[in-house]
Amino acid sequence: MVVPIGYAIWLSLFTEKQSGLGFGGTETVFTGLANYTAALGDRAFLEGFGVLLGYCLLYIPLLLAGALGLALLLDSALARARRFFQLALFLPHAVPGIIAALIWVYLYTPQLSPVVRAMDAGGIGFDFFSPEGTLPSVVNIALWEWLGYNMVIFYAALQAIDRSVLEAATVDGAGAWRIAFAIKVPLVKASLAMVGLFTIIGSLQLFTEPLILNKGTGSAVTSTWTPNMYAYTAAFDRNDYGLAAAASVLLALTAALLSFAVTRLTGRRKSGGARKEKTA
Amino acid sequence: MTRTWSRTSRVIAGTATALAVLTACGGGGDDTANKPSGPVTITFWGWAKGSKDVVDAFNSSHRDIQVKFEEIPSGTAGGYAKISNAVKAGNAPDLVSIEYASLPEFVSSGALQDIGDQFTEADRAKLLPQSVELTTLGGKSWAVPFDAAPQAFFYRKDLFAKYGVQPPTTWDDFKKAAEQIKKADAKARIATFFPDDPTTFEAMAWQAGAQWFKAENDTWKVNTTDPATTKVASYWQGLLDADLVHKDASFSPEWVGSLKNGTTVGYLGASWGAGVLKGNSPELAGKWAVAPIPTWDGKPASGMLGGTSFAVTKDSEQKAAAVTFAKWMSTTEAGIKSRIASGTSSAFPADAGLRPVAKKAFDASYYGGQDIYALFEAAGASINPHWAWGPTTGTTNTAIKDQFGKLAKGGPSIADAVRTGHDATVAELTKRGLKVEG
Repeated sequence: MVVPIGYAIWLSLFTEKQSGLGFGGTETVFTGLANYTAALGDRAFLEGFGVLLGYCLLYIPLLLAGALGLALLLDSALARARRFFQLALFLPHAVPGIIAALIWVYLYTPQLSPVVRAMDAGGIGFDFFSPEGTLPSVVNIALWEWLGYNMVIFYAALQAIDRSVLEAATVDGAGAWRIAFAIKVPLVKASLAMVGLFTIIGSLQLFTEPLILNKGTGSAVTSTWTPNMYAYTAAFDRNDYGLAAAASVLLALTAALLSFAVTRLTGRRKSGGARKEKTA
Repeated sequence: MTRTWSRTSRVIAGTATALAVLTACGGGGDDTANKPSGPVTITFWGWAKGSKDVVDAFNSSHRDIQVKFEEIPSGTAGGYAKISNAVKAGNAPDLVSIEYASLPEFVSSGALQDIGDQFTEADRAKLLPQSVELTTLGGKSWAVPFDAAPQAFFYRKDLFAKYGVQPPTTWDDFKKAAEQIKKADAKARIATFFPDDPTTFEAMAWQAGAQWFKAENDTWKVNTTDPATTKVASYWQGLLDADLVHKDASFSPEWVGSLKNGTTVGYLGASWGAGVLKGNSPELAGKWAVAPIPTWDGKPASGMLGGTSFAVTKDSEQKAAAVTFAKWMSTTEAGIKSRIASGTSSAFPADAGLRPVAKKAFDASYYGGQDIYALFEAAGASINPHWAWGPTTGTTNTAIKDQFGKLAKGGPSIADAVRTGHDATVAELTKRGLKVEG
């Protein structure tokens, strides 16, 4: 793990310089932190973090609410064919991201998609490739991929709840809704926080789905839409490995800082939870 | 269905290989090292239609040189990334395909070697001067030009006749024809604006007389806000605003689908497009025809859209063999014939003497037997000779493509996109330590 990071840091300190018209080959020159200032001074790179923020704000609440809602449904006695739904909802997660993105590109494409046709017929014209449509498009793909997976986590947490607690609540006259929101949800708060924080960290790596939307369509997803894509484009479209390495290092730093914050937060939460259990 | 998905799958293949190459850096093989006896083996990477057939034909007719062909995704779909990574990793093939637009970038990154000693003045004299000019950079010869790619307008002659529209000769006529077609069928459009592909727009600017890059002494002069480019940008903006053309990604399933169902009745492409259309929708045989690209003043003029050359990578120890094979592909009857006869290629050879060979080998029944090579011949002669590509095509085109994707009412215009491309280009040249004006 250390070697690739070390190599990236090393690469990020150099720039390939040319002279004349540039047809005399290149010379690799030590440029110190110039690549870092170039990345940080590039609006496209900073906008990528803005996109990530917007993505998290839209995606994470939807993911948590959706996954928890489904898990509660499955956990309630009302749900029939539990196994079937569990499998059906989990299945999209087994599809590789690249394939998922392709399927959705097809479903988003105006002249091809039965979904878009149905929406048009219903009077809801929505262009998934337009500047306003790109964020919802990507969030939708991510939800499709991750909803079932996180539902399974929540479902497992719900199953771990001591049944006698629930029975006691029923005896006390609590209805299904009351049990769900007053007892079950508070008891799985820890896994809710964990999934939320892991999803934030994972979102930093957002790459495959928007890349397919960028390369395979004429959509408004730019080649530098997320910081990861910025690094990719710098390396492979612009041949600027120094800049790509600097951007990657900056992204890794952000991820490290966030992870640190996350572990501190969850650590505190866990010990707090344990204390409560003892007093109960 | 498999056909229509081919573009997206190429994108994936490109992405995947780029990633794979990244992780596999340092693998360097030297299976191409000079062996004392037996035939020399060279490796060749390309994606042009018919390449496999050409390699097979070469291998069966040559004993001293054997070629190992590997098909890679097309340049902008990941092929170029694959090539530059392989060069960096030291395991590049001997010979690679590079389009004219990207050649300066490969030369300036030091990925190629000068082949002037093998590819001589006598060889170059046989080829279209415009393509030789595009492969001669800084006074050295860097690649063997294969085809010239003059622009052409492909159209559905059955539907044009049905709607009572003549193929347009000027851009004014083109707009009128676009209006007539939309009037006749509210869903039909004369052509498509490709938001994912700046090169089609660049060819239009080239045709109009723009010169985005000029090398003077030791300075790059970049000019994309000249009157010609501005004229082309506002013309296309007008077509988009009036909803007279479709806006779909090039070679995408939606584009191919609209060609098949007749809602797109024309395609502004280049010579090689004849093979592409034929391959995409064989069921439309006999319904397509080719016309010269419309011009601004009615006099023949063309830009170049694409066009391939073959270059030798910097670490190759088989330069002589690689150039021999490249010359065989570009300048011999057998080389041209084997490619065109594969049925998928309508390449227009840079070698003027071999155009009759190509014409004979191409089955033009798809175009109702039209003499499309005669048309390409005239178009090729009208290619504006003063265009040059700069060493930052990747940066320029990525910047423009990003803005093209956002084109919308109230959003950036085509002119804004070109301006963004200009600024990104100048910034990139400056970052590399080159002198720039613009």
